[in-house]
Amino acid sequence: MVHEFQYRAPRSLSELLALMAEHGTSAKVLAGGTDLLPNIRMGIAKPAFVVDCKRLPDADRLVFSPAEGLRMGHGVTISAVLRDRTIREKFPLLAEAAHELASHQVRNRATVAGNVVNASPCSDMALPLLCLDAVAVLTSTSGERTVSFREFFTGPKATVMKPGEFLAEIRVPASSADRKGRYAKLKRVKGHDLGIVGVMLASSPEGLRVAVSSAAPTPVLVSGIGRGLDAEAVDALVQKAIKPIDDVRCTAEYRRYMVGAYIRRLLPEVSR
Amino acid sequence: MTITLTVNGVSYTRDAPENKTLLHFLREDLGLTGTKEGCGMGECGACTVFLNGRTVNSCCVLAVEADGAAIETIEGEAGPAGLSEIQKAFDRNHAVQCGFCTPGMILSVKELLKAVPKPTVEEIKEAIEGNFCRCTGYEQIVEAVLDVTGQGPKGRLDHV
Amino acid sequence: MFDQVRPEDLAYVGKDSGRIDATEKLTGEALYVSDMTVPGMLYAAVKRSPHARARIKRIDTSKALALPGVRAVVTGAELDYRLGLYVVDKYILAKGEVRHYGEAVAAVAAETYAQARRAADAIAVEYEPLPPVLHHMEALKPDAPRVHPDLGSYDHIAAVFTPKPGTNIANHTRLRKGDTEKGFAESEWVVEREYSCPSVQHVPMETHVAIAKWARGDQVEIWTSAQSPFTVRNLFCHAFKLPHNNVRVHIPYVGGGFGGKAGIGVEPLAAVLSRAAGGRAVKFQATREEEFSLLPCRSALTYRIKTGVGADGKIRAQEMTMYWDSGAYADYAVNVTRASGYSAAGPYEIPNASIDAYTIYTNKPFGTAYRGFGHVEFHWGLERHMELVAKAIGMDPLEFRRRNALRPGSITLTGERITDHTGDVVKCMDAAAKAIGYGSLTAEEKERERKTGRRIGKGVAALHKAPAMPSFTATAVIIKMNEDGSVTVNLALTDYGQGTYTSIRQIVAERLGFPLEKVKVSFECDTDKDPYDWQTVASKGLLLSGNAAILAAEDLLKNAYEVAAQVLRANVRDLAHDGKRIYLRHNPAESVDFARIAVGYAYPNGNGIGGPIIGVGRYVAQGLSNLDKATGQGNPALDWTYGAHGIVAEVDPETGEYEVLKIASVFDVGKAINPQIVRGQSIGGMVQGLGTAVCEGYIYDEKGILLNPSFTDNKIPTAKDIPAVIESAVVETPQIDGPYGARGVGEHSMISVAAALGNAIQEATGAEIVHMPLRFEDVWRALRDKTPIDNWITKSPLGSCRSAPELRNRKKDG
Repeated sequence: MVHEFQYRAPRSLSELLALMAEHGTSAKVLAGGTDLLPNIRMGIAKPAFVVDCKRLPDADRLVFSPAEGLRMGHGVTISAVLRDRTIREKFPLLAEAAHELASHQVRNRATVAGNVVNASPCSDMALPLLCLDAVAVLTSTSGERTVSFREFFTGPKATVMKPGEFLAEIRVPASSADRKGRYAKLKRVKGHDLGIVGVMLASSPEGLRVAVSSAAPTPVLVSGIGRGLDAEAVDALVQKAIKPIDDVRCTAEYRRYMVGAYIRRLLPEVSR
Repeated sequence: MTITLTVNGVSYTRDAPENKTLLHFLREDLGLTGTKEGCGMGECGACTVFLNGRTVNSCCVLAVEADGAAIETIEGEAGPAGLSEIQKAFDRNHAVQCGFCTPGMILSVKELLKAVPKPTVEEIKEAIEGNFCRCTGYEQIVEAVLDVTGQGPKGRLDHV
Repeated sequence: MFDQVRPEDLAYVGKDSGRIDATEKLTGEALYVSDMTVPGMLYAAVKRSPHARARIKRIDTSKALALPGVRAVVTGAELDYRLGLYVVDKYILAKGEVRHYGEAVAAVAAETYAQARRAADAIAVEYEPLPPVLHHMEALKPDAPRVHPDLGSYDHIAAVFTPKPGTNIANHTRLRKGDTEKGFAESEWVVEREYSCPSVQHVPMETHVAIAKWARGDQVEIWTSAQSPFTVRNLFCHAFKLPHNNVRVHIPYVGGGFGGKAGIGVEPLAAVLSRAAGGRAVKFQATREEEFSLLPCRSALTYRIKTGVGADGKIRAQEMTMYWDSGAYADYAVNVTRASGYSAAGPYEIPNASIDAYTIYTNKPFGTAYRGFGHVEFHWGLERHMELVAKAIGMDPLEFRRRNALRPGSITLTGERITDHTGDVVKCMDAAAKAIGYGSLTAEEKERERKTGRRIGKGVAALHKAPAMPSFTATAVIIKMNEDGSVTVNLALTDYGQGTYTSIRQIVAERLGFPLEKVKVSFECDTDKDPYDWQTVASKGLLLSGNAAILAAEDLLKNAYEVAAQVLRANVRDLAHDGKRIYLRHNPAESVDFARIAVGYAYPNGNGIGGPIIGVGRYVAQGLSNLDKATGQGNPALDWTYGAHGIVAEVDPETGEYEVLKIASVFDVGKAINPQIVRGQSIGGMVQGLGTAVCEGYIYDEKGILLNPSFTDNKIPTAKDIPAVIESAVVETPQIDGPYGARGVGEHSMISVAAALGNAIQEATGAEIVHMPLRFEDVWRALRDKTPIDNWITKSPLGSCRSAPELRNRKKDG
């Protein structure tokens, strides 16, 4: 590549956090690299330091316990999610979204953490994490905090993460296990494509949830939708929460329409 | 940065610039040009290689990330006895045209067959969706995979 | 070169045979130019225009020159060479003015690519942006900015092309047959519509790449990923005024072309950098993003058709007007216009026809050849039109096509008479229709509709195409016998994936009567070593080079027989041969092995006779003529390949989402030399055609900036996008002057896919779509009469994108 940077592969979290603290915004965390490296190639990202987080111990730890729920290390790849039996059984929405993300080779490399840290409005993994009340564990030299994904995204490519912070783990509470739902993603081809619009419907104790991608500056969650509402009523609630735009992929008008169409398509399956 | 990695079972120790992709390292530093560059953006799959047993787009991996890793490229596919069974099936089924996507395509098929010995057509298509081919229209590639897994007859040109 | 040989007497022709290039490609050993390096080689990068149209006020290269590793920097100001296939209108680097987004204005050669890239980025260019002309219909207006104010002074091939100085028209092709006024007067119905499609990118998996070394004494050596070595050399020598024997062009394996590498591309750029760098070799490879706008694309088209139909469903008259968007340079687009012009009515007989086809300059990346050479684009319009006309007059579209199809005795637009040997388009369309169960839904399909709420529709579209090439297009093949009696075939037709070499090998083995293993067709073309071939384009390769290969094989045998006759002290007439030896027919025990005469026969005493045996075959297209410029009459077609596609599509009428469930393609190939290779071309082109039909296309903003120059937003079909059922069939009506009766099919497989899809979607839902591609949103909009999306620059001010009926279904007196 043309842009030059220094590569660091810390072996411990404290070493990584120290590097992040030292270099601030000039350092970029390298996880799967499937977004960062193309962005460097295109000159969109120009980090002075690239900090590879994959050599940290337990980076790809993926465990479930009834007490702590699901804990996904920052290095857990999309493929690992798909291969994990517990996820397939207890958190099928994670697997469904993972299955729709890019191509096999990309899924082998890309991480769940990377997908959400990028904070693309079309993030696939954001939708199940929103529907499942997942939280991000953010660490830095000044300590650790957990942020719900409902507060995590602040704009296109923007999150609550501060310079020097690192998304070390994603946690999905055990109480979210077995939530039923469905995901529909509009693409231009049947093969791998970014979502032109994505809609996930999920059940939850407080009612129906609808998570939508590519229809607002961030992924959107509409929760607490009363049971028994028909698709039109659900759509009306969701339409108020989204703010789609026209772009080369499609028009705002069609995006709005397709959100409704997918709600109409998925609602009977989720209510069943 | 000095890195050591094995490629097709051979160990190499080389200096690699930190901003060099694994793809360019394989092609330029090791002369393994069977791995192709089609887009440099992780979209087309021409640069597919195995990294520690799983396929990746080598344009989206830094060479320094592969320090200590085991890499397999297309150059490792044929053995001393000749073409591998996958390669032979590609040959039999005309699953090759310009050939530029072929190395990556074969490695994606190999990855599939490691996990699923008798894949369905849907599974085959999904396994290779990350490998663009502009020539064949994929059908003869799918047929080659069915052939090598002992399923299905060869495709046929009908005469009216 | 069709001999009435019974199929059972053919050893190789008509049979499957493995591809000769398979092993090298399967192992990654095949070397492409992108894999190659030359000792001392430098790497190049270009500085490109961010504007669609601007005056170049100043270029400051001083910063670039001062950077480490930089060995040469060139700008347009230093280069006064213009290139052009038919109209010589393009500088190697923009000079004075940039005419499209992404055009190269300066270039750098450096020790590494990164150094070259950094230096190119460091070049400061001061522009004065000028108002661009973006839509080709706008460019026709009298007050539109002129893309080439000096058009009148450009060299061009005047016998064939007609630029209009003082306008943006690079060429006007005109054709008149019969009396359209009379034909319309006789018509019961008159239907007029307009159709359009955007520019698209070829997407060869290997982007354009060349290595050039401009050595002392003006000896130039080029390695390039291109389709046509002699055209690269010829145009290069014309531009630089070099003798042809100073320039040597090598073409090794090529990672796809599809027309995008038909002419000259990045070779001159690499060469001028090499010259500036003191003769060090320079490699330039386009990035995928550069492939979209530095290099050419397929032209956009607006096609207006007015058809008069009699009460009997026969077309009486047709007025056809094509507006081709050439982009900033004419390149192949002027010839696309010409070839599409004389084919514009498709495989139908039109007694009274008029055609005006215009190539129009705009400030956009320029158009070139692309698989089908205009026929994908205009068949989209034409075959949608046939559907809409049939519906307007209340006739089944397939029946309407049949009724008007070209048959033996029909006269084409240019006055050519169709014979029994031209091919059978009705058979193709009937077979395609049968394959998809055209005309009704099966019980299973009806049940599927009921269950899913989706609608299933079936559509057929026919097609024809002849090679677009000079009337005197020529080629040659040389077959050299090796010491062991095997042979090596040299030709400069390139095989960049189509499989032509494998078919040529079968033809040579068949004609020689040699086992296949004894015949090698040499890859890597070399203009210093291979005999001339015009270009690898137009689906003409198998016919012309196949014939030359037959002639070369016959010449080789003749030469071998002459030596054998001396050795065996026999008359040549009494000799016969097998794969190993030449023998006396009346006494087969008396023989001489080919191996013993291959490079000269030696008598026991040491005396030699003969010498190395070679065979030369030369073939030139016969009986073709230039078209009359006023009437378009003449004989342009080497051969016509007819075909048809049938598509079963399933559409969600609520969302516009759809899926192609089945596709069937049928072509009259004359003779399938290698059925699996024909099938590979058939399916490959069909899927490429689906890409064009479903999602591909250039999207610009209002300033002419290309918004989707990558795979992120220019999707191409993946394995998941191919229909579940694909059927491929051929009709074999022998082409009398084709090798073993064969004719080309490389492009045809792509041609009417989009139209068949449009017809199927209309059948399923009633959506009358006249603009392609058919994105889901387009279908959705068409079903709701919504304003079409207008981000395609091809949108016509006349409303060509509109799916709302603009149709004038005018019944006479009604």
